[in-house]
Amino acid sequence: MAWRDDWRRVRAIARKDVTTELRAKAGFNSVASLGVTILVLLGLALGPDADALRNAAVGAVWLALLFSGVLAFNRSFQVELESGALEPLLLYPGPRWTIFAGKLLGNLMFLTLMVAIVVVAGVVLFGVRIPADWPPLLGVLALGVVGLVVLGTFYASMASRSRAREVLLPLLLFPMLVPVLLAATTASKALLGADVMHEAGAWIRLLVAYDLVFLTATFIAFEHVIEA
Amino acid sequence: MISSSDQSRDILTARPPRTGVWPAFVSFGAVIAAQAYAILTSPAEGDMGHLQKIMYVHVPAAWMTFLSFFVVLVFSVRYLWRRRENDDLIAASAAEVGATFNGLTLMLGMIWGRPAWGVWWVWDARLTSTLVLFLIFVGYLALRAFTDDAQQKARWSAAVGAIGALNVPIVYMSVKWWRTLHQPPSSPATLDPRYTMGLRLNAIALLLVMIYFIRRRYEIARLERAVEHMAEAAAMGGQ
Amino acid sequence: MITAASNLNFIIAAYTVTWIVLLGYSLRLVRKGGRARADYERIAQQRSGEKSQ
Repeated sequence: MAWRDDWRRVRAIARKDVTTELRAKAGFNSVASLGVTILVLLGLALGPDADALRNAAVGAVWLALLFSGVLAFNRSFQVELESGALEPLLLYPGPRWTIFAGKLLGNLMFLTLMVAIVVVAGVVLFGVRIPADWPPLLGVLALGVVGLVVLGTFYASMASRSRAREVLLPLLLFPMLVPVLLAATTASKALLGADVMHEAGAWIRLLVAYDLVFLTATFIAFEHVIEA
Repeated sequence: MISSSDQSRDILTARPPRTGVWPAFVSFGAVIAAQAYAILTSPAEGDMGHLQKIMYVHVPAAWMTFLSFFVVLVFSVRYLWRRRENDDLIAASAAEVGATFNGLTLMLGMIWGRPAWGVWWVWDARLTSTLVLFLIFVGYLALRAFTDDAQQKARWSAAVGAIGALNVPIVYMSVKWWRTLHQPPSSPATLDPRYTMGLRLNAIALLLVMIYFIRRRYEIARLERAVEHMAEAAAMGGQ
Repeated sequence: MITAASNLNFIIAAYTVTWIVLLGYSLRLVRKGGRARADYERIAQQRSGEKSQ
């Protein structure tokens, strides 16, 4: 079955990326440390008033995720380019979208680990009170991270091959992520409170729509972008 | 499946056409005439007094911003479809002109907002999404500036242009939910008839300027591309 | 408090900014166009010179 072969390609690329990262560890450690460092700096800049910190917690965590995530996405293609492995990868038979899907999956796993560390650090440092009904918060986080990873991986496939990758990726990515940032922070704030306005549902639907729209669009566009 | 080589050699070294100076005089003359007409005929408005006159430059500039980014979207998709170099150059020219009008719209919005609302900036839906749109197309132009290979530049910026345009309604909706206090959009339908004619004339005049700008920018882009092709050919075949 | 005089300043500012941007972009086009055309003529002349030899 063709789709089974495709799925195996996707898994192989994802496994390769994750294995490389796990063997090296330095990349993951430094990106995760940067995320925590940004949180600490934000805490120092916004504190020391405990209530002010608690109100700013969601925004601080998301900013830390964006700024450290940007480095992770560039890495995933940079490693490939430095070892001259992208061209051979493109020469392998099979549809090109499997490369994108593999990279996406690898980045998603990488980011999930990082998000876990940054979010726990944020909850501790900013004194967030977790409500009893916490699973929806994880859902919002997951949907936001998917949007971040989809567009981050897509833009990194271009920015990492341009002359100014360090500046270009955030410049391209951050304006595109405005809806994710607004939806994820507003929904999380609502869920951390009592959500008296019942607004979290609308934001979650927006996140789902955003993820679906850009997942489709980037898969279509990737074939044009990856050509040598 | 996409063919491996882009079919984009149709421009090559042919001498590009050149727009004369008369379209510049016509379009700029139209702007002067439209502004004069609008300023002289519009009475002071109830709430805002003569401040309303800023609308004649602000609103058409905003319309032209969206129109030129729509041109970017159309020609980006068409480039990915047909792989003709001119589509890419038209999209790039429209993006630069659109970014210029976008910057103008933002500045005029602030000049309006200060006396009307008492602040230079409010985080309302249309202001904020216009700013985000500006940032998206600054990214588009930066990507073009930092990519050397002409075909890579064309394919990448077409993808970024199309996906960026796709994001505009989502950004608008999300910021609108987030917070809103803008007055309903000015359109001839919601406007006092004494102001419509002035607004329409100014929009048409600015449209002429926009078309002139995009045409001129496109001709320059073709010239530059022709120079690149000739230099390439000389390097490969010469000596 | 909004006064008529301060409003006038904002209106003048708006129209001035508009014309600065329009004329400024035109100037950029003229300059860039001149440079591109000069480059084109130079290279085109070089090529025709090579061919005639």
